[in-house]
Amino acid sequence: MESPKISKISRRSFLQITAGVAALTGMSMPTNAQAGSGTLSTLIDLSLCDGCVDRETPACISACRRINKDKIPKVVDSIPEPWPRKTIEDWSKKQDVTNRLTPYNFIYVHKAEIAADGRRQTIFVPRRCMHCDNPACATICPFSANHKNDNGAVVINSNQCFGGAKCKDVCPWEIPQRQSGVGIYLHVLPGLMGNGVMYKCDLCNDRLKEGRLPGCVEACPRQAMIIGPKKDIEAQAQTRAQQMKGYIYGKKENGGTSTLYVSPVSFELINKTMTKKPGQPDMKPDVKRRMVGTDPLGKTVLASPVLGLAAAGVLGWFSRRKEQIKTKEKDHG
Amino acid sequence: MAEKILSEKNLVVRHSFLELIEHWAIAISGLLLLFTGIFELPVAKRYYIITVPGLGWSADFITSLYIHYAAALVFTAVGVFHLAYHGFRGENGMIPQKGDLAASVKVIKSLFGFGQEPPMHKYLPEQRWAYVGMAFIILMLIISGLIKTYKNIYAPDMSLAIVLTATWIHNIFFVLFFLAFLAHMAAIALRPNWPMVRGIFTGKVRLDYARHRHPLWLNDMEKVDVFPVPVQPAPLPEEFPVIEKAENSPVSEMSKGVDKNNE
Repeated sequence: MESPKISKISRRSFLQITAGVAALTGMSMPTNAQAGSGTLSTLIDLSLCDGCVDRETPACISACRRINKDKIPKVVDSIPEPWPRKTIEDWSKKQDVTNRLTPYNFIYVHKAEIAADGRRQTIFVPRRCMHCDNPACATICPFSANHKNDNGAVVINSNQCFGGAKCKDVCPWEIPQRQSGVGIYLHVLPGLMGNGVMYKCDLCNDRLKEGRLPGCVEACPRQAMIIGPKKDIEAQAQTRAQQMKGYIYGKKENGGTSTLYVSPVSFELINKTMTKKPGQPDMKPDVKRRMVGTDPLGKTVLASPVLGLAAAGVLGWFSRRKEQIKTKEKDHG
Repeated sequence: MAEKILSEKNLVVRHSFLELIEHWAIAISGLLLLFTGIFELPVAKRYYIITVPGLGWSADFITSLYIHYAAALVFTAVGVFHLAYHGFRGENGMIPQKGDLAASVKVIKSLFGFGQEPPMHKYLPEQRWAYVGMAFIILMLIISGLIKTYKNIYAPDMSLAIVLTATWIHNIFFVLFFLAFLAHMAAIALRPNWPMVRGIFTGKVRLDYARHRHPLWLNDMEKVDVFPVPVQPAPLPEEFPVIEKAENSPVSEMSKGVDKNNE
């Protein structure tokens, strides 16, 4: 069955889900999001997500696993023991795990039981890579194996990744997950350098290139996830948040992301239901992009060639002037 | 140039104060870049570097990046200053000259006891080649580093082809920089080069050493010195008719500049 194209997402999602809201606010429909044309963003509406409680596995997870089932090649029988720290992360025998992020599971759904304003509420929060606007995981990958595409998708090239897990360390949500015993490191110095490949959601970038929807967006039976041009999605998130007197997560967190959650319950309360564990990120509001502190210094580095040239010009002028004065003094006896 | 013979102290001024500052600014910032560059790889935890007293921060990539940027600021500014300032003054004594390659082989062989060392100018022929090599490595590191810095701040979605090219140039030349640094240290470890070591700390080397090993340099200086010191040139092998060469050499030209200064 041919999946709906991205160009249809606006019509389908926005018509079905937000027609009323749009009509009320007079907001125009977002223009069609053509793959590769401009930055895309996704919106996850927590007022719509019911965690697919009637299914064995939430639809977004099933679709994601189906699409990515062949992403990890066969793990070598004997995974080389890294030296000197002997950490091996092998999920190949636990591929069925769906309640956390693993190299075989790029999305999971957190169930948040919240008691607020005298009533109990259950909120389901699908968690995956946020596809940040300026992702440290990509910018400071030592081999540029992780890269932010111009459509907003942050994608790890599994053929170039050595599995050092730096991307996981610098991600505020520690999203990427490692599978040892696969990847290029096996062909270089497996005991001394690298430890596998990092895996995470790539926003179904290959599908986006074909003009198709990400699997999770396409599969969601309640259209709790939509994708579209970043500006339109931001406007949509704002509108929905206002309508439900709710909250937005992901717009400013880590310097801004391409994944916006809208929730009728505050993210402080949602975060309180989350205990940060491996593969299960929390949702701390206003989490800062740590690299932002290095930006002023980086900008000075960019200006440093001019500083060097200016200093050379000034000192060069002074030294030449000094020589001229000496010559004059000599000429005048 | 501050080259000057201080015969009463048995010393020759080999480097100006400015040159010493340039050298040490590049050396210290370069070493910081080398180490923080290594710490930008996921090695500090794996290799227990974090357990070394004082290096607990080494696994924090953002802290390393702060230091890397601070060192890059000095490294780039001083590198560009060096090229522009000395280029502007026409000081090209470290640029390889005709015949340097063959002379380098002779010098290196002599360092290991094979044959006799030819008489030399201020800089050894292989020193000039090493300088150009190191300058090229530094230039590539600076250019690729600037692209990476721009990407980090302004353009995380920069063309992947540009990002990959800059990254791999930076990584490859990082290794070459490390090897060049080791070669530099190895050159210092060679006994005949020991007298030059004090020069890079104090700016001065021993006059008797310079007279013995760098007679062409001394020759040039003494030819133009206002207060010439009696020269006892070291006996030179006949196959090195160096005086004629020295007439047109950059060192000779530089010495003429010194002459003007001294006058």
